[in-house]
Amino acid sequence: MKKIHILGIVVIAVAIGVIFTSLQSSATYSDFTEAAGNPDTEYHVVGKLDKSIPVQYDPKINADECSFMMVDNKGVEKKVVLHKSVPQDIQKSEQIVLIGKMQGEEFHANEILMKCPSKYNDGKPQV
Amino acid sequence: MNHTTEYIAERLWIGQLGNGFVILSLVAALLSAVGYYFYSKETLTSEWKKFASTAFTIHSISIIGIAATLFFMLFNHFYEYSYVYQHSNNEMPMQYIMSCFWEGQEGSFLLWAFWNVVLGNILRKTIDAKWEAPTMAIFALVQVFIASMLLGVYFGDYKLGSNPFILLRENPQYANLPFLQIENYLAKIDGRGLNPLLMNYWMTIHPPTLFLGFSSTLVPFVFAVAGLWKRDFTTWQKPALTWTFFSIMILGTGILMGGAWAYEALSFGGFWAWDPVENSSLVPWLVMVGAGHVMIINKNKGGSLFMTHLMAIASFLLVLYSTFLTRSGILGKSSVHAFTDLGMQAQLVVYVLTFVLICVVLLIHDKLIRVSYLMVSFLMLFAGITFGHKVALLLTWIVISFLMTIYSYIKFFPKEEEEESLYSREFWMFVGSLVFLLSSLIITYFTSIPVMNKLFQGWLYENEKAPIKIADYNLWMVPFTIIALLLVAVTQYFKYKKTNPKQFLKHIALSGVLAVVFGMSAVIPLYFLKEYSSASPIDKWNLVSYALLFISALFAVFCNLDYWMRILKGKTRHAGSSIAHIGFALILLGALISTSKKQTISQNTSQKNVASLGENFDAKKSLVLTKGDTLPIGNYLVTYTGKERRGIDVFFNMDYFTKDENGKLVKAFDLSPMIQDNPRMGTASHPDTKHFLSNDIYTHVTYGVLSDDKTIKKDAYKEPTNFVGHMNDTIFSDNAIIRIDSITTNLTEEQYSKNDSLLIVTAVLKATDINGNIYRATPRYILKHNMVMPDEFELKELGLKFIFWKIYPNEGSVEIQMSEKVSNVKDFVVLEAYMFPFINVLWLGCLVMIIGTVVAIIERRRINKLKSTS
Repeated sequence: MKKIHILGIVVIAVAIGVIFTSLQSSATYSDFTEAAGNPDTEYHVVGKLDKSIPVQYDPKINADECSFMMVDNKGVEKKVVLHKSVPQDIQKSEQIVLIGKMQGEEFHANEILMKCPSKYNDGKPQV
Repeated sequence: MNHTTEYIAERLWIGQLGNGFVILSLVAALLSAVGYYFYSKETLTSEWKKFASTAFTIHSISIIGIAATLFFMLFNHFYEYSYVYQHSNNEMPMQYIMSCFWEGQEGSFLLWAFWNVVLGNILRKTIDAKWEAPTMAIFALVQVFIASMLLGVYFGDYKLGSNPFILLRENPQYANLPFLQIENYLAKIDGRGLNPLLMNYWMTIHPPTLFLGFSSTLVPFVFAVAGLWKRDFTTWQKPALTWTFFSIMILGTGILMGGAWAYEALSFGGFWAWDPVENSSLVPWLVMVGAGHVMIINKNKGGSLFMTHLMAIASFLLVLYSTFLTRSGILGKSSVHAFTDLGMQAQLVVYVLTFVLICVVLLIHDKLIRVSYLMVSFLMLFAGITFGHKVALLLTWIVISFLMTIYSYIKFFPKEEEEESLYSREFWMFVGSLVFLLSSLIITYFTSIPVMNKLFQGWLYENEKAPIKIADYNLWMVPFTIIALLLVAVTQYFKYKKTNPKQFLKHIALSGVLAVVFGMSAVIPLYFLKEYSSASPIDKWNLVSYALLFISALFAVFCNLDYWMRILKGKTRHAGSSIAHIGFALILLGALISTSKKQTISQNTSQKNVASLGENFDAKKSLVLTKGDTLPIGNYLVTYTGKERRGIDVFFNMDYFTKDENGKLVKAFDLSPMIQDNPRMGTASHPDTKHFLSNDIYTHVTYGVLSDDKTIKKDAYKEPTNFVGHMNDTIFSDNAIIRIDSITTNLTEEQYSKNDSLLIVTAVLKATDINGNIYRATPRYILKHNMVMPDEFELKELGLKFIFWKIYPNEGSVEIQMSEKVSNVKDFVVLEAYMFPFINVLWLGCLVMIIGTVVAIIERRRINKLKSTS
């Protein structure tokens, strides 16, 4: 067997290894109910901010924590504790992705991604 | 309703002119491709050449015509056109007109087509006659596809391309705007302008550089495809080599500019975030670097033919695939700056697959198999359109194409009989290229998670997979980087074909010893003294791998420096590759130190902090800074001096102080991180960084009140709050600490029970302000004929109001209501500050790598000229 063939086999083995490990370990998008079932697993929960209840943020007490209510895609509403300063635009968000775990009745997130009205399709007229 | 309105002052002629150019460019590219195809058949004569090159010239003029027309429209504010309305406005300064040009999808495709035309014309003027026809035929074919992206023609429901000359009232997104029903709407409207976030100088230099980089990958691609087509696997490589290194340099510069933009102007908190849009430019670059190196092997020693073709082709195909990823909207929620769907998803998939098909067909050197493969492909396409099952068919087709590629490689591709020695340069260069290819495949796979979801969700797995995290990218990429660095270090010391192992070891010994000595003395304090013992297993692995990466990077720098000085005797002209390699190693070294030793220097040190975080979460990183307060940040003391609004930008000014020998505060510098109150996409935080030689102090505001101080009514009082307390309890206001000092009454209990006329209870409050001044407040509880009389005590000096609200005789406590003046509440910001150590090593590395590549290109051209004249 030539060295080049051994190399080829190594490359293919590494590629397959990476694909399988990352497929197994990678987090999935989910909802509050599933996250509550596995409190030790990290989930990405997609949902919408409940704008009828004010977002709690008092930087004088804790600048790295805010809380709000979010409705997930299945319609379940839970209190979210975000361990970050409040995103300046959270009130304008159309969709939120939270990364974190369920702790009791609260979802504790350490990362937030927001989808805001896009610059490409807000379609607001300017006259 | 629209067709009944006669619009006034619309300049329809210019759109018609632009569309004329669009159609002409497409037709001319098609004719040029056909012409070059026939010219490449050797039996045919120079008439075809004339035809093809004329067509290409017309195509080039048309593309420049489209660009000029669009530019003219933007410059003159022709808002009847959707693109101008969407991307410009009346106040647009001249330097940003170019940015408006490429802000939208159509404009950026046009920029791409423009650079292709520039490179195509240089290529056809400089190329050997032998290769002109086949390379230009493929080049023109690619241009057909790119030009078609500007078409915007509907076939039934299906739209081909997106046209930059569409009228505002014809754009379905805007057609129903009320002002478009007015005849002279043009007299009244202004454009929506450029996204203010993009109004900075990076937006004027980054896109053109990056798109030139994307364009430059096309040239090695057309050479390699032409090589497959004409079954001449070697002679194209020499002319293609300069183009390959040009591509490496330009694309590399474009990527680094993107990183610098992210670091300087966006609040990622770093220069690289493994965002799909970033990856989509990194991956073609990695593959192109691999391609360049196998081409060097081929030039010096021959062989590695399959890999040269594979990688030169893959780089451009990956550019196309990235275009699909970032332009089709498929990334959706996984990227912060992907484009939204313009309805071009299917089209972009078809383009990528068409070029794969062409390459596989050319690879198959047997007429029967080739025709069968084509037939099967078309049958599957037909079946997919008529019967559905698109995903299954697509996957089957990919597997078939992959198997055909392997079969053709085994059956039809020339292979070497002789095996490479383990002590040869070509072997290790080849391994290095494989490492680059493999890492780029893994990054591509990670980036493609949303595509996987589209293909496999509900079939192979149930839940939608989330994008790969930055930490996981780093975890996987560090080992590859270590291997790449070790190869970069030692490979030059091998000779082609055969090297004396002892000689080799002698050469690298000095660098090896230096790297280990310096490396160990640096990594032990950096990674092992404090953190290691308390780290989790995965973090232990990370720390070890960082240490190895550090030492390998040093080893690579020393080895290449040594090679340049001792073996090449310091001759810069020949040292292009050594210099570029030093740059590469410095980039990684700088990235490693500044990222792994990035320090959060903003920790909440304010006294008012009471709550604590859950254990699972990051340490505190935000600092609350009240106007006028001075708090420590790292080695500095920082004061927030106030904010300042310029247009939509709100700047938060911070003064940084250090202490001199006498302990006196001395101002060191000031920073003004900014929040942009962007009407187009919400607020955007813009960091400000102080650069020092050995580190950067980086700050950005994560939360700040954007409204001006002036708009607040200062004399108003806030909503009151109630406190229940005993004697000697304290109440906090924003500017003072208030103690309940004593409670007195005008009557004894006995007297009160006898005489119910009037009871006055006075609470004596002592308020101590920040400067230690003590003020007395005496709110009274007045009861007259069993009725509570309202009584309010205003402490004007502190802007506080008190009402003695209730008495709880059983608990011995009182309830006091306090309200504060609005102006007492001082403005504050929440900010994050980081120290990036040695990030300048990274930028220095970038510069060195670019210089090295330029030196190598110049040398290559000089040698080529010498050879052709002799």
